Amino acid sequence: MFLLDNNVVREDWTKAKEVATGILEKHGASVTIARRWAERSLAYTIKKVNRGTYMLAYFEADPGSITIIRRDLELNESIMRYLVLKCDAVPEGEQELHDAELSTDFTVPEPPEDHVVDSTGEEDNESNDLDIDVGFDSGLDASPARPKAAAPKAEEKAEDKKEEAPAAEVTESKEETKEAPAAEATESKEETTEAAASEEA
Amino acid sequence: MKRPIKKSTKGCDDPRLDYKDLETLAKYLNPQGEIHARRKTGYCAKCQRQLKQAIKRARHMGLLAFVGQ
Repeated sequence: MFLLDNNVVREDWTKAKEVATGILEKHGASVTIARRWAERSLAYTIKKVNRGTYMLAYFEADPGSITIIRRDLELNESIMRYLVLKCDAVPEGEQELHDAELSTDFTVPEPPEDHVVDSTGEEDNESNDLDIDVGFDSGLDASPARPKAAAPKAEEKAEDKKEEAPAAEVTESKEETKEAPAAEATESKEETTEAAASEEA
Repeated sequence: MKRPIKKSTKGCDDPRLDYKDLETLAKYLNPQGEIHARRKTGYCAKCQRQLKQAIKRARHMGLLAFVGQ
Protein backbone atom coordinates (compact mmCIF):
# COMPACT_ATOMS: atom_id res chain seq x y z
CA MET A 1 0.00 0.00 0.00
CA PHE A 2 1.19 3.48 -0.84
CA LEU A 3 0.11 6.82 0.56
CA LEU A 4 0.42 9.36 -2.24
CA ASP A 5 0.59 13.11 -2.01
CA ASN A 6 -2.74 14.65 -3.01
CA ASN A 7 -1.08 17.52 -4.85
CA VAL A 8 0.34 15.02 -7.33
CA VAL A 9 -2.83 12.93 -7.41
CA ARG A 10 -5.12 15.86 -8.21
CA GLU A 11 -2.96 16.89 -11.14
CA ASP A 12 -3.22 13.50 -12.78
CA TRP A 13 -4.11 10.18 -11.20
CA THR A 14 -2.41 8.01 -13.81
CA LYS A 15 0.84 9.92 -13.40
CA ALA A 16 0.67 9.57 -9.65
CA LYS A 17 0.07 5.86 -10.04
CA GLU A 18 3.03 5.52 -12.35
CA VAL A 19 5.28 7.08 -9.75
CA ALA A 20 4.80 4.05 -7.53
CA THR A 21 4.47 1.38 -10.20
CA GLY A 22 7.44 2.83 -12.08
CA ILE A 23 9.70 2.32 -9.08
CA LEU A 24 8.52 -1.26 -8.74
CA GLU A 25 9.00 -2.05 -12.42
CA LYS A 26 12.37 -0.31 -12.50
CA HIS A 27 13.74 -2.96 -10.17
CA GLY A 28 12.31 -5.93 -12.03
CA ALA A 29 8.99 -6.36 -10.24
CA SER A 30 5.93 -7.30 -12.25
CA VAL A 31 2.89 -5.37 -11.08
CA THR A 32 -0.27 -7.44 -11.38
CA ILE A 33 -2.71 -5.06 -9.71
CA ALA A 34 -2.49 -1.36 -8.98
CA ARG A 35 -5.62 0.47 -8.00
CA ARG A 36 -6.90 3.43 -6.08
CA TRP A 37 -8.01 2.36 -2.61
CA ALA A 38 -9.33 5.54 -1.01
CA GLU A 39 -8.84 9.26 -0.69
CA ARG A 40 -9.25 10.16 2.96
CA SER A 41 -8.17 12.37 5.78
CA LEU A 42 -5.21 11.08 7.73
CA ALA A 43 -5.41 10.15 11.40
CA TYR A 44 -2.46 12.46 12.06
CA THR A 45 -0.52 15.01 10.06
CA ILE A 46 2.20 13.57 7.83
CA LYS A 47 4.66 16.03 6.25
CA LYS A 48 2.30 18.92 7.10
CA VAL A 49 -0.49 17.30 5.08
CA ASN A 50 -3.85 16.15 6.44
CA ARG A 51 -5.21 14.27 3.46
CA GLY A 52 -3.84 11.65 1.13
CA THR A 53 -4.72 9.08 -1.48
CA TYR A 54 -4.06 5.42 -0.84
CA MET A 55 -3.01 3.12 -3.61
CA LEU A 56 -3.05 -0.65 -3.35
CA ALA A 57 -0.69 -2.69 -5.49
CA TYR A 58 0.12 -6.37 -5.79
CA PHE A 59 3.41 -7.25 -7.39
CA GLU A 60 5.90 -10.07 -7.74
CA ALA A 61 9.55 -9.38 -7.13
CA ASP A 62 12.75 -11.06 -6.08
CA PRO A 63 13.28 -10.93 -2.32
CA GLY A 64 16.67 -9.31 -2.89
CA SER A 65 15.19 -6.40 -4.80
CA ILE A 66 12.78 -5.44 -2.01
CA THR A 67 15.42 -3.53 -0.06
CA ILE A 68 16.32 -1.50 -3.16
CA ILE A 69 12.65 -0.84 -3.88
CA ARG A 70 12.15 0.35 -0.32
CA ARG A 71 15.10 2.69 -0.56
CA ASP A 72 13.72 4.23 -3.74
CA LEU A 73 10.28 4.58 -2.19
CA GLU A 74 11.82 6.38 0.78
CA LEU A 75 13.54 8.88 -1.48
CA ASN A 76 10.48 9.72 -3.55
CA GLU A 77 8.73 12.80 -2.21
CA SER A 78 5.31 12.14 -3.69
CA ILE A 79 5.08 8.86 -1.75
CA MET A 80 4.43 9.87 1.84
CA ARG A 81 4.19 6.38 3.33
CA TYR A 82 4.41 2.83 2.04
CA LEU A 83 3.86 -0.64 3.38
CA VAL A 84 5.35 -3.68 1.69
CA LEU A 85 3.93 -6.99 2.85
CA LYS A 86 4.19 -10.58 1.81
CA CYS A 87 0.98 -11.93 0.33
CA ASP A 88 0.29 -15.55 -0.56
CA ALA A 89 -2.36 -14.85 -3.17
CA VAL A 90 -4.23 -11.93 -4.62
CA PRO A 91 -7.59 -11.68 -2.83
CA GLU A 92 -10.79 -12.20 -4.72
CA GLY A 93 -12.35 -9.12 -6.21
CA GLU A 94 -9.10 -7.20 -6.53
CA GLN A 95 -8.69 -8.06 -10.20
CA GLU A 96 -12.19 -6.79 -10.98
CA LEU A 97 -11.54 -3.51 -9.22
CA HIS A 98 -8.26 -3.17 -11.09
CA ASP A 99 -9.98 -3.78 -14.42
CA ALA A 100 -12.73 -1.33 -13.55
CA GLU A 101 -10.14 1.36 -13.00
CA LEU A 102 -8.49 0.69 -16.34
CA SER A 103 -11.77 1.00 -18.24
CA THR A 104 -12.57 4.24 -19.99
CA ASP A 105 -15.63 4.86 -17.80
CA PHE A 106 -13.50 5.30 -14.70
CA THR A 107 -13.22 8.79 -13.35
CA VAL A 108 -11.42 9.77 -10.19
CA PRO A 109 -14.08 10.62 -7.59
CA GLU A 110 -14.28 14.17 -6.35
CA PRO A 111 -12.81 14.75 -2.89
CA PRO A 112 -15.43 14.81 -0.13
CA GLU A 113 -16.73 17.99 1.45
CA ASP A 114 -14.31 17.99 4.37
CA HIS A 115 -11.52 18.54 1.84
CA VAL A 116 -12.33 22.26 2.25
CA VAL A 117 -11.27 22.05 5.89
CA ASP A 118 -8.00 20.56 4.79
CA SER A 119 -7.27 23.39 2.41
CA THR A 120 -7.77 25.94 5.20
CA GLY A 121 -5.48 23.86 7.38
CA GLU A 122 -2.78 24.11 4.73
CA GLU A 123 -3.26 27.84 4.56
CA ASP A 124 -2.81 27.99 8.32
CA ASN A 125 0.46 26.15 7.99
CA GLU A 126 1.66 28.63 5.42
CA SER A 127 0.70 31.55 7.59
CA ASN A 128 2.61 29.97 10.47
CA ASP A 129 5.68 29.83 8.28
CA LEU A 130 5.26 33.48 7.41
CA ASP A 131 4.99 34.38 11.07
CA ILE A 132 8.20 32.60 11.82
CA ASP A 133 9.93 34.55 9.07
CA VAL A 134 8.63 37.87 10.40
CA GLY A 135 9.95 37.50 13.92
CA PHE A 136 11.77 34.71 15.67
CA ASP A 137 11.04 36.19 19.12
CA SER A 138 7.31 35.67 18.68
CA GLY A 139 7.32 32.37 20.58
CA LEU A 140 5.41 29.23 19.86
CA ASP A 141 1.90 30.63 19.43
CA ALA A 142 1.79 31.60 15.79
CA SER A 143 -1.43 33.04 14.40
CA PRO A 144 -2.39 35.18 11.40
CA ALA A 145 -3.03 38.21 13.65
CA ARG A 146 0.41 38.20 15.27
CA PRO A 147 2.42 40.43 12.89
CA LYS A 148 0.00 43.31 13.50
CA ALA A 149 0.48 43.04 17.25
CA ALA A 150 4.26 43.08 17.11
CA ALA A 151 4.78 46.46 18.84
CA PRO A 152 2.33 46.57 21.80
CA LYS A 153 3.13 45.81 25.43
CA ALA A 154 3.40 42.35 26.91
CA GLU A 155 0.07 42.63 28.74
CA GLU A 156 -1.78 43.41 25.55
CA LYS A 157 -0.10 40.48 23.88
CA ALA A 158 -1.25 38.22 26.66
CA GLU A 159 -4.80 39.43 26.21
CA ASP A 160 -4.59 38.81 22.50
CA LYS A 161 -3.44 35.30 23.16
CA LYS A 162 -6.37 34.68 25.47
CA GLU A 163 -8.78 35.91 22.84
CA GLU A 164 -7.16 33.96 20.08
CA ALA A 165 -6.85 30.70 21.93
CA PRO A 166 -10.57 29.78 22.08
CA ALA A 167 -11.00 30.52 18.39
CA ALA A 168 -8.17 28.17 17.55
CA GLU A 169 -9.75 25.47 19.66
CA VAL A 170 -13.06 25.88 17.89
CA THR A 171 -11.48 25.45 14.47
CA GLU A 172 -9.62 22.40 15.65
CA SER A 173 -12.74 20.79 17.03
CA LYS A 174 -14.55 21.52 13.79
CA GLU A 175 -11.82 19.76 11.91
CA GLU A 176 -12.02 16.83 14.21
CA THR A 177 -15.73 16.42 13.80
CA LYS A 178 -15.54 16.72 10.06
CA GLU A 179 -12.56 14.45 9.88
CA ALA A 180 -14.58 11.48 11.05
CA PRO A 181 -13.43 9.05 8.40
CA ALA A 182 -16.06 7.65 6.12
CA ALA A 183 -14.66 4.21 6.53
CA GLU A 184 -14.98 2.73 3.14
CA ALA A 185 -15.86 -0.88 2.77
CA THR A 186 -12.74 -2.93 2.50
CA GLU A 187 -14.06 -6.12 1.16
CA SER A 188 -10.66 -7.53 0.38
CA LYS A 189 -9.54 -10.25 2.71
CA GLU A 190 -5.82 -10.31 2.44
CA GLU A 191 -3.60 -12.70 4.25
CA THR A 192 -0.42 -10.91 5.03
CA THR A 193 2.69 -11.82 6.90
CA GLU A 194 5.36 -9.67 8.32
CA ALA A 195 7.66 -7.74 6.03
CA ALA A 196 6.71 -4.38 7.36
CA ALA A 197 8.64 -1.33 6.41
CA SER A 198 7.45 0.72 9.29
CA GLU A 199 10.36 1.03 11.69
CA GLU A 200 12.98 1.38 9.00
CA ALA A 201 12.27 5.03 8.53
CA MET B 1 -8.43 -12.05 48.63
CA LYS B 2 -7.29 -11.49 45.08
CA ARG B 3 -10.10 -11.63 42.60
CA PRO B 4 -9.42 -14.02 39.70
CA ILE B 5 -9.23 -12.57 36.22
CA LYS B 6 -12.55 -12.86 34.49
CA LYS B 7 -12.17 -14.85 31.32
CA SER B 8 -14.24 -13.88 28.33
CA THR B 9 -16.29 -16.55 26.63
CA LYS B 10 -16.31 -14.71 23.35
CA GLY B 11 -13.50 -16.70 21.72
CA CYS B 12 -11.65 -15.65 18.61
CA ASP B 13 -12.30 -18.32 15.95
CA ASP B 14 -9.73 -17.07 13.41
CA PRO B 15 -10.81 -13.44 12.96
CA ARG B 16 -8.54 -12.78 9.89
CA LEU B 17 -7.79 -9.23 10.83
CA ASP B 18 -6.73 -6.90 8.07
CA TYR B 19 -5.06 -3.53 8.54
CA LYS B 20 -7.48 -1.99 6.01
CA ASP B 21 -10.55 -3.12 7.93
CA LEU B 22 -10.71 -0.03 10.10
CA GLU B 23 -14.22 -0.53 11.43
CA THR B 24 -13.20 -3.82 13.02
CA LEU B 25 -9.88 -2.53 14.34
CA ALA B 26 -11.46 0.54 15.89
CA LYS B 27 -13.55 -1.72 18.11
CA TYR B 28 -10.41 -2.91 19.85
CA LEU B 29 -9.09 0.54 20.74
CA ASN B 30 -10.01 2.61 23.75
CA PRO B 31 -10.59 6.39 23.51
CA GLN B 32 -6.89 6.97 24.19
CA GLY B 33 -6.00 4.83 21.17
CA GLU B 34 -4.63 1.95 23.20
CA ILE B 35 -5.17 -1.65 22.17
CA HIS B 36 -7.50 -3.63 24.41
CA ALA B 37 -5.97 -6.36 26.53
CA ARG B 38 -6.54 -10.02 25.85
CA ARG B 39 -8.88 -10.31 28.79
CA LYS B 40 -11.08 -7.72 27.11
CA THR B 41 -10.84 -8.82 23.49
CA GLY B 42 -11.22 -12.48 24.39
CA TYR B 43 -8.63 -13.40 21.76
CA CYS B 44 -6.09 -16.20 22.04
CA ALA B 45 -2.42 -15.23 21.99
CA LYS B 46 -2.11 -15.80 18.24
CA CYS B 47 -5.13 -13.71 17.31
CA GLN B 48 -4.12 -10.98 19.74
CA ARG B 49 -0.77 -10.79 17.93
CA GLN B 50 -2.60 -10.50 14.62
CA LEU B 51 -4.71 -7.72 16.06
CA LYS B 52 -1.64 -5.89 17.37
CA GLN B 53 0.12 -6.21 14.02
CA ALA B 54 -2.91 -5.01 12.04
CA ILE B 55 -3.41 -1.99 14.28
CA LYS B 56 0.26 -1.06 14.12
CA ARG B 57 0.24 -1.30 10.34
CA ALA B 58 -2.84 0.89 10.15
CA ARG B 59 -1.20 3.43 12.46
CA HIS B 60 1.91 3.55 10.33
CA MET B 61 -0.13 4.28 7.21
CA GLY B 62 -2.02 7.09 8.92
CA LEU B 63 -5.30 5.17 8.98
CA LEU B 64 -5.51 5.02 12.78
CA ALA B 65 -4.23 7.48 15.33
CA PHE B 66 -1.40 6.63 17.71
CA VAL B 67 -3.02 8.72 20.41
CA GLY B 68 -6.71 9.31 20.96
CA GLN B 69 -8.31 12.59 20.07
